[in-house]
Amino acid sequence: MKKLFNLALGVITSIGGFVEVGSISTSVQAGAEFGFSLLWAIAAATLFLAALAEMAGRVAAVSKRSIAAAVRERFGFNFQVIPLGAEVVIDTLLLTAELGGAAIAVKMLTGIGFQWWILPLGIVAWLVLWLGNFTVIEDGVGLLGIVTLSFVVAAWRLHSDVGPIARGFVPSVPHHDLTRYAFLVVSIVGATVSPYLLNFYASGAIEEKWTEQDLWINRLTAWCGMGFGSTVAMGCLVTAAIVFGPQHVKVDTYEQAAQMFVPVYGRWAIVLFALSLGIGCFGAAVEIALNAGYVLGQAFGWTWGIDKARRDASRFVAAFSLVLLLAVAIATTGFDPLRVTLISVALTVVVMPLVVLPFLVLMNEEEYVGKHTSGPLGNGLLAALTVLGALMAIVVIPLEIFGG
Amino acid sequence: MGRVDGIVIEPRPNQPVHVTALLIGPSALGDRLHPALGRVVRRIEKRFGLDRDRPARVAFADVDEIGAKIRLRLTISETAVAAVEQRLRSWLVRLPGSR
Repeated sequence: MKKLFNLALGVITSIGGFVEVGSISTSVQAGAEFGFSLLWAIAAATLFLAALAEMAGRVAAVSKRSIAAAVRERFGFNFQVIPLGAEVVIDTLLLTAELGGAAIAVKMLTGIGFQWWILPLGIVAWLVLWLGNFTVIEDGVGLLGIVTLSFVVAAWRLHSDVGPIARGFVPSVPHHDLTRYAFLVVSIVGATVSPYLLNFYASGAIEEKWTEQDLWINRLTAWCGMGFGSTVAMGCLVTAAIVFGPQHVKVDTYEQAAQMFVPVYGRWAIVLFALSLGIGCFGAAVEIALNAGYVLGQAFGWTWGIDKARRDASRFVAAFSLVLLLAVAIATTGFDPLRVTLISVALTVVVMPLVVLPFLVLMNEEEYVGKHTSGPLGNGLLAALTVLGALMAIVVIPLEIFGG
Repeated sequence: MGRVDGIVIEPRPNQPVHVTALLIGPSALGDRLHPALGRVVRRIEKRFGLDRDRPARVAFADVDEIGAKIRLRLTISETAVAAVEQRLRSWLVRLPGSR
């Protein structure tokens, strides 16, 4: 019974954990510019994310090693330094963007300029990490994140026909702006398959002391959690498609994006959008900072864990504090959160082959997954993602320039 | 305790090389990427007065068991591995709410 409760909680918290600045901004833009026709990209990206998260959880439950630790052990530091360095840079940029997103949300609610909110939000995020434990952080972020279901409710209440939405799940070639379309596809994949989500998930499995007996929980949490999480991104895309679609507007700011709630929620529109954006981004900010501590601690062999006494894991605490401080510093110097999001998303795509390739090896070695090695389906999926990832890594920079 | 960041090997005439010690510490790791990086790390450690006996050098004779984890016949306090951790701890415990 307790396991079922934890499972349900795990799935619900994944919904909250899924929604953040990258998934909201890419979904809104995709919906506004291309109607329902990019729904397949969210579905495909979620499939890959769920598969990778399940695998990362499996390695963690069976071998008690996080992905960063396993990669260093199996491939050596000279290989790891590239994905590790990239992940820390991506985490810092994404954290900057999340703080920006949360600050814009507070600005929508208060009318006071968003630059003023970066530092207070950074301090609150640090206090949550300093005083909280894993359960408080994961469940708190997840349960508050339920407000993001307002995207799904909005899509539902707009009563669109099922036919056109269903057709969106079939990949198609658009009649206009092919480069912009390709750019959004790559951005959706980059915003969804974030290395931080994978590593955070696997680190959580270790924090919660999963064992081989918990593999079914892992499978269900990864697939259902990410699956439900993606419905929020899809709801966001569908709502944007219905509200903005007919006007063919390009959405460049979050204030503009908030207008998509007006036909459904009326005078509550701005408040609900701001809460969804703010809680989604703030929760992600806490998790990303924590993840930076995880990944550095695991790679360098420090004592790590948010449930450990702070003085027993002081390098880990210093690491997440410094990354948070750096992100606050970048954010306060003035920047465009959407721009930073796009850069970190592009960088995610560039390093994706280096993140995925180790999985292909680890998932086939008994040392890491015992008898639960990947079958042809899992290996096929990983191989496909490696090839797709490499292709996207090649095209992402030109697409950034011409499609962004 | 940490991860093995490097090993010291000694060539012997007409025999296979001999592992004499394990190194633990960021400067050993830096050296492996590029000697210049190792020098930078060393300089930073020196600036904070943390360069004594670092990188920690564990004689191979003190290695007890080699498996997925390497077991030593030493405790962490007999090495300089925890120097950074201890320095940071001395700062952290002064913060309110520290535990």
